[in-house]
Amino acid sequence: MNSPVFYDHFERHAHGAGLKGHSTHYCPGCGHGIVHRDLADAIGELGLQDRTVLISPVGCAVFAHYYFDVGNSQAAHGRAPAVALGHKLANPDAIVISYQGDGDLASIGLAETISTAQLGLPITVIFINNAIYGMTGGQCAPTSLIGQKTTTSPAGRDRAMGSPLRVAELIAQLDGPIYVERVALFDPKQRVKARRAIQKALRLQAEGRGYAFIEVLAECPTHLKLTPELAEAWVRDQMVPVFPLGVKKDLTVEPWFHCGPPSYDVEKFLALVGAEPLEPDTEPPVPATSAIGDLSLKFAGAGGDGAQTAALLLTRAAIDAGFDATHIPSYGPESRGGTSYADVHIAAGEVLNPAAPEPDILVAFNAPSLAKFAPMVAPEGTILYDGGVITQLPALPAGCRVIAVPFTEIARGLGRPVAKNMVAIGALQGATGLLPPDRFTITLRHLLKDKPSLLPLNEAAFEAGRRAVCPPSVPT
Amino acid sequence: MSHFTTARPRPFLDPAYCKACLRCVEACAKHCITPGSTLNTITGVAPVELHLEHCTGCALCVQACPEPFGLRLDEGMSHLEGEFRLEDPTKLFGKKRVDVVDAPIEPDEQIPLPGCAPLVLKGAYASAIGAVLAGCRHVFGYPITPSTEGAELMAKLMPELGGTFVQAVSEVAAVNMMYGAGGAGVPAMTFTSSPGFSLMLEGISYMIGAEVPGVFVNFMRGGPGLGNIAPEQSDIKLACRGLGHGNTHALVLAPSTPQEMLDLTLAAFALSFRYRNPVIMLGDGFLGQMTGVVRLPPTLSRPGRPAWAVWGDRSHRHNLISSIHLAETDLEAHNEHLNRKYAAIAKRETRAELFRCDDAEVLVVACNTPARMAKGAVEVARARGLAAGLFRPITLWPFPIDALLPLLPRTRQIIVVEASPGQLEDELRLALSHADRVPPPITHVRRGGGVLPQQTEILAQIAATQEAFA
Ligand code: SF4
Ligand code: SF4
Ligand code: SF4
Repeated sequence: MNSPVFYDHFERHAHGAGLKGHSTHYCPGCGHGIVHRDLADAIGELGLQDRTVLISPVGCAVFAHYYFDVGNSQAAHGRAPAVALGHKLANPDAIVISYQGDGDLASIGLAETISTAQLGLPITVIFINNAIYGMTGGQCAPTSLIGQKTTTSPAGRDRAMGSPLRVAELIAQLDGPIYVERVALFDPKQRVKARRAIQKALRLQAEGRGYAFIEVLAECPTHLKLTPELAEAWVRDQMVPVFPLGVKKDLTVEPWFHCGPPSYDVEKFLALVGAEPLEPDTEPPVPATSAIGDLSLKFAGAGGDGAQTAALLLTRAAIDAGFDATHIPSYGPESRGGTSYADVHIAAGEVLNPAAPEPDILVAFNAPSLAKFAPMVAPEGTILYDGGVITQLPALPAGCRVIAVPFTEIARGLGRPVAKNMVAIGALQGATGLLPPDRFTITLRHLLKDKPSLLPLNEAAFEAGRRAVCPPSVPT
Repeated sequence: MSHFTTARPRPFLDPAYCKACLRCVEACAKHCITPGSTLNTITGVAPVELHLEHCTGCALCVQACPEPFGLRLDEGMSHLEGEFRLEDPTKLFGKKRVDVVDAPIEPDEQIPLPGCAPLVLKGAYASAIGAVLAGCRHVFGYPITPSTEGAELMAKLMPELGGTFVQAVSEVAAVNMMYGAGGAGVPAMTFTSSPGFSLMLEGISYMIGAEVPGVFVNFMRGGPGLGNIAPEQSDIKLACRGLGHGNTHALVLAPSTPQEMLDLTLAAFALSFRYRNPVIMLGDGFLGQMTGVVRLPPTLSRPGRPAWAVWGDRSHRHNLISSIHLAETDLEAHNEHLNRKYAAIAKRETRAELFRCDDAEVLVVACNTPARMAKGAVEVARARGLAAGLFRPITLWPFPIDALLPLLPRTRQIIVVEASPGQLEDELRLALSHADRVPPPITHVRRGGGVLPQQTEILAQIAATQEAFA
C-alpha cells in the first residue's frame, strides 16, 4: 500500500527542491493522484515494476514520470497508444501502460485510441475522464456534459457542440479489447472497485491475454470550481447518469500474444532476399563489348502485354553479362489505366540518365504506344513493333530502322499468346545483337529455376522471335 | 489502546505533504480524521488531523488520498504498540526494495556475410534490404504511392525475421510507433512520400526533442497538396529547414542509385543511433521505382541495446524519453545540447560526390535522380571539350560546403539542376552565405510537376555558359 513504485524523491519535479520533492503537481483533491496510487500499488503488488513502461500523455498527467519509478516515456498529444504499441512490439515482455486524459484520448488522439484498441495487442489504457480540459485551463472536453459551462462553452455545452462521448462503450464494442470497465473515485466503494479494475487490467497484460481499457470518472475540482467533496458529488450525481459505471466487456481469452525474437540469421536473410553466395574466387563478369556507351530503350504496350517483364528480363540479362543497367516502370494510376511502359538503360560503364525520353530503341506492343513514342525515338534509332497487331503505321521519324514482327501471332502459334513479350525480346536480340546470344537463355534459366516447366515455352518464344528477324542461316 | 493490538498498520501523515483536500475525511467511516485547525507554516494549508483511537486500519482513507507522500500506512511502525511519531517518510521507510543498477551498453555485433552475386533490385527494395542489414526489425507505415513497395517488402520480410510490420491508422500514428520503438532502443523505420512526410513532422519534432533515433525514407513526389505521384524534389526545404516545430535538424541523405538506396539506408541507422536523432532519406519517386544492380555489404548487424533505452527491465528502469523541459533555463540548456549535436554532425558527417570537378569551370550541382542526368550532361560536355564537373551533395543537411569551397576559385559558373522550384539552390546559397563566400554566378535548370531535368537541357545550359565565357 505504501508503494515502492513511486520514487523516494521526485527528482524530476522542479529538480526535487523543497516540498516538490515529495508532493505532486496536481491540485488538491485531483482524481489523478488517487489513480496514480492505485496504479502504483497494482504494479507493485503484481511484481511488475522492473518491466513496466508508462506512457504519459499531454494533459495534467504529462508529468506522471515525476512519480512512477518505472521506465517512462512522454508522448505527443493524443499519441500515447501509438507510442505504447511501439514499446510493446519492441519488447513484448514489457508491461506497457498508456495513461491519458479525455482531451488526449477522446479528442485529438481518437484515431490512435480506436485503432490501437481494435488491434487488441496486450497493453493497458487508463483513461481519466473528468469531463473537462485541465492543463489548458477548463475548456470543453469531448466528455463534457450537456449544459456544462466551460471556458469554451460559456453558456453551457449544447447539442450543436456534440454530446458527451461514451468512450468505454465505444471501446467495448470493438473486437480487439478483452476487458473494458468504467469505474469512479467518488466514495470508498468506488475506489476499491477502481483499484481492482486497474489491477485486473495489468494482470491481463502480464499474462499476454489482451488489451484492457479502464475509464475512470475522476474529479477536477479546480475547473469544476467545486471543493473536492462537492466534485465527488458532482461526478456521482451528474456524470454517472451519462457515463454508467460497470464492466462493459470481460472476455476469457487464453494467452496468445507473442512476437520475435528478432532473427539475424545469415542463411535466412540471404534466402529471403534471393542472394546467392559466390564461389570464393568467382571473377565478376566483364561486358563482352564496350560498344554500348549508354543505350536507352523504351518498352510500351497495354497492361497485359508484359512490357515490364520484358524490360526487367533485359535489364537483368545485361547486368548478368557485366553491364550496368537500369529499369524504370511507369507507375501509379497511369499503369492501372491500361498503358504500361518501361525505360531501360544499358551501359558498359555507368548508366547516367536512367530515363529514356528519346529512346535509341522502341519496342511497341500496340498502336497507341507506337503512336505515342515513335516520334520521340532518337535519330537513326530502331523501332520494333508487333506487326500482327499494328496495321496502320503513324508517321515515323526519318532515318529510323523499322522492324515489324508479329509478336502475338507467333506466340499464339506456340499455344501461349502471353509469351509475346518473350517473342519481342527474341526479336530485339535478333535485330540488334544487343547482348551475346546465350545471355538471355542463361538469365532465363536462372530466373525460372524454381519453375522449370515454364522454361521450354519461354525459350521457344525467344527463339521464334529471334528467327523472325534473322533467318536461321544468318548467324547472330 | 486496545485497537493498537491488531497487526493491521494504521495511517500515518507527514503534514507537510497534506494538501488539505479532505478526501480522506469522508472516506473514514470511523470519523478518525478531521479537518485541520492549524495552518502548516511551510505549506500554508491546514493539514487534516488523525485521531486513531477507533481506527480499524481499513486503509480506505489512504486509498482516498491523492498524494503519494500524504496518507500512508505505517507498516514500519506496527511493532511499536501504540507509539506514534511523525517522521520524514523517506527516513521511515528506508531504501527501496528494488535498487536500480546502471544500464550497460550492449554493443552492436557485425555478422559477416559471404560474397554474393549482385542483386537486381528496385530502389525501394534496396532500401528495405539496407534496413534489414542494419538490424531493423520494426517497420511502421501507411501506404502511399510511390513508397509502398518498401512497406510491402517489409510486410513480407519482417514476420520471417521475428520482426514486426504495422500498417498504422495514419502517418501520425506510424511516426509515434517509431517514437515508442525507437525509445525502447530498437532500430525502427518507415517508408513514406511527401504528403505522408508532412503528417509525420509533428512526431519528428518530438523524436528530435526526446533524442529518439529512427529512419524515414521519403520518396518525394509532386506537390503542393495532393499534387501528383510523379518524382519531384520539393521536400528538400521541409527536410532541411522544417522538421516540425522548434529547434530541429536531422541528417538528410540524398541517394541517387539503387545501390545508394541500400548503402545510405544502412548508414542512416548507424548515424541515427550515433547521434540519437532521426535521419531522413530523401529519394525521389524515380529512385523508389528504379531497378538496378545492388551489391550486398560484407556484414549484417545485430543491434545491441543502448544504455538510455526505455526497454522495460530493471537496468533500464530509471530512463526517461521526454521532450518536455518546463523550466526556461532547462529548455535552453537542452537546446544548447542539441545545437552542439548539430554542430558535431555538421563537422563529421557531411558527404558529397565530386565528378570531374578538379579542373571544372562550370560546376553543376544536383542530387538524387537529376544528378544522374547531370552526370550524363557533364560526360557529354567533357567529350566536347567543355570544362564541366558535377558536385553532388549526398548530405543535403548539413550541406557539404567544405567539399565545395576548394572548388570555387576555379569555378566561373554554378548551375543548380533540380526537380523543384529552387529548394536545393536555397540550401546551396545558405551554405555559401554561412561560409561568408560570395559565389560565382548561379543559374539553374529547374523542372517540376514530375518532369525531371533532362540531359539535353542541362547540356544546353553548360554550353551556353561556356559560350558566354568565350
Ligand atoms: S486542473 Fe483538474 S485535472 Fe488538472 S491537476 Fe488540477 S484538478 Fe487535476
Ligand atoms: S484506516 Fe480506516 S478507520 Fe483508520 S483512519 Fe483510515 S479510514 Fe479511518
Ligand atoms: S486526502 Fe491526503 S491530501 Fe487530502 S486532506 Fe487527506 S491527507 Fe491531506
